[in-house]
Amino acid sequence: MTVRTTADLALESVTVVHGTGAARTTVLDSLDLSFSPGRLTALVGPSGSGKSTLLAVAGALLRPASGRVLLGGEDVVPLSDARRACVRRERIGYMFQSGNLLPGLTALDQVLAIGHLNGRRVSGLRDAAAAALESVGLAHRAGHRPEQLSGGERQRVALARALVLEPAVLLVDEPTAAVDRSQAAGLAALLGDAVRGRGRTAVVATHDPAVVEAADEVVDMAALAGGQRPRP
Amino acid sequence: MFLALRELRAARGRFALMGAVVALIAALVGVVSGFTAGLGDDTVSALRALPADRIAFSAHAGTDFARSGVDPATAAGMAAAPGVRATPLGVTITRGTTRRGVPVDVAAFGVDPAGFLAPRGLTGDGVVVSRGLADDGVRVGDTLVIDRIGLRVPVVGVAGRAAYGHVPAAYVSLDTWEKIRASSGPREYSAVALKTGDRADVAALDRRFGTRTVARDAAFAAAPGYSGERITMNSILVFLYLIAPLVVGAFFAVWTVQRTPELALLRALGAARRRLLGHTMLQAALVVVGASAVGGALAAAVGAALGSAVPFSLPPGTLLGTVAAVSVAGLAGSALTLRRVTSPDPLTMLGANR
Repeated sequence: MTVRTTADLALESVTVVHGTGAARTTVLDSLDLSFSPGRLTALVGPSGSGKSTLLAVAGALLRPASGRVLLGGEDVVPLSDARRACVRRERIGYMFQSGNLLPGLTALDQVLAIGHLNGRRVSGLRDAAAAALESVGLAHRAGHRPEQLSGGERQRVALARALVLEPAVLLVDEPTAAVDRSQAAGLAALLGDAVRGRGRTAVVATHDPAVVEAADEVVDMAALAGGQRPRP
Repeated sequence: MFLALRELRAARGRFALMGAVVALIAALVGVVSGFTAGLGDDTVSALRALPADRIAFSAHAGTDFARSGVDPATAAGMAAAPGVRATPLGVTITRGTTRRGVPVDVAAFGVDPAGFLAPRGLTGDGVVVSRGLADDGVRVGDTLVIDRIGLRVPVVGVAGRAAYGHVPAAYVSLDTWEKIRASSGPREYSAVALKTGDRADVAALDRRFGTRTVARDAAFAAAPGYSGERITMNSILVFLYLIAPLVVGAFFAVWTVQRTPELALLRALGAARRRLLGHTMLQAALVVVGASAVGGALAAAVGAALGSAVPFSLPPGTLLGTVAAVSVAGLAGSALTLRRVTSPDPLTMLGANR
């Protein structure tokens, strides 16, 4: 099914199959889905419904068995591994469920690292990195290493890193899975702020009602498999 | 460089440990190299110092100065050959006593005082001692007594450092050398030293005089202990050069396995394989080259501390070569682990894979 046609990120007839033989499972079956700029879309559904797989396909981390993944109108599926890595670092911001941060690096260095991966001069990115940390309320923790931060603070550092280079697309996987309720609400609000009014396309896989509440659209993966459209 | 340096700083304890191991290996290589060169110098430096390019031995003697015997007619015949300058050479190890009663071993090199082998100042009845004998207390103006025959030889000069078979050299005239050799047979020299030009036909000389002429450096092998020492020391060096890459490779293999999750994260964030490889090699280069340089400095310090107490020679060129060789061996070891650097799957960053 096609939801919209003017989106920055769209999946067309995407099929993903895991395993072979008797263990073969079709996780996404001819899925058509597009995501609107400036809106936060929450992917919900039980474990195994394909939320993370959809993020992997949309984020050029996983090549589908068939179908197209359009990012700014360009199909990233047939690109070489090197080009797909380039797409990931230049056009997509990622925030993962856990293990987001590099051990031993301060919060500021974590944010600067993404600039380094993009071949940017780190010295020219310091102000932007400091501003990104400030936008997630962690300016005062810039010099702290991961083991000195709480779970919620680590996720906010990851969000600052994902946003510092102003990517067109933000993909987030279970951002509140390892944080307490009070921090989850704050993180959900920050995600909404990072998207709205900025023309950025954001997709978040979540089980958390606080994140669902903050989303502009919700895609129920279980229902989608049954042919239902996303609900606003 | 940013991430490589940040990681180094974050894991400075582990890298310092690795660096210390590489530094010790480099120091050991440097020390063994110093002893190899020092022992070599102590064995053949007197031969290396001879201003000749070939040595002619009697045919049956191989390159052994003790077994070789060349008569005066052969020496004269060779000297008369076109394109050849030739002069007799006698080599005998003996013992002597200085005027102060200090016993010394002496490698007596018998040369023609007017020939091209003679050191400056050599006279028909005097001896020019090398620096090693001077270090033992032999001075110009002293009399060196050759113990076995009671021959008293005045010291008339001091030459540079030269030794043969770990015995300091002393240059005497051929007549004096004949007395020291104390042979009851016909007059013979140990060999003939040659300076050969383009017109020299060495093979024809050997056929004509029944000699075996070899390049000067080929005669080193027959010096007492030279071959055995070289084999022993070079075997140790070979094992050290095998150990260095294995140790460094093992460290980087463990280091890479430990940071597999971080490498997967960096791949997921879009890090190019080339950048991760460069990042890892930069870390290896900083640790291995830096530690090798420290090890080289340690070896030089050991050499300086030993002074002239033991045969040790580690000139700057050899030291730099040692540091470079250990660095290359270490980097080769780290390169063995590069495939693992780009193998972590970025997909493991998502969902329940964590």
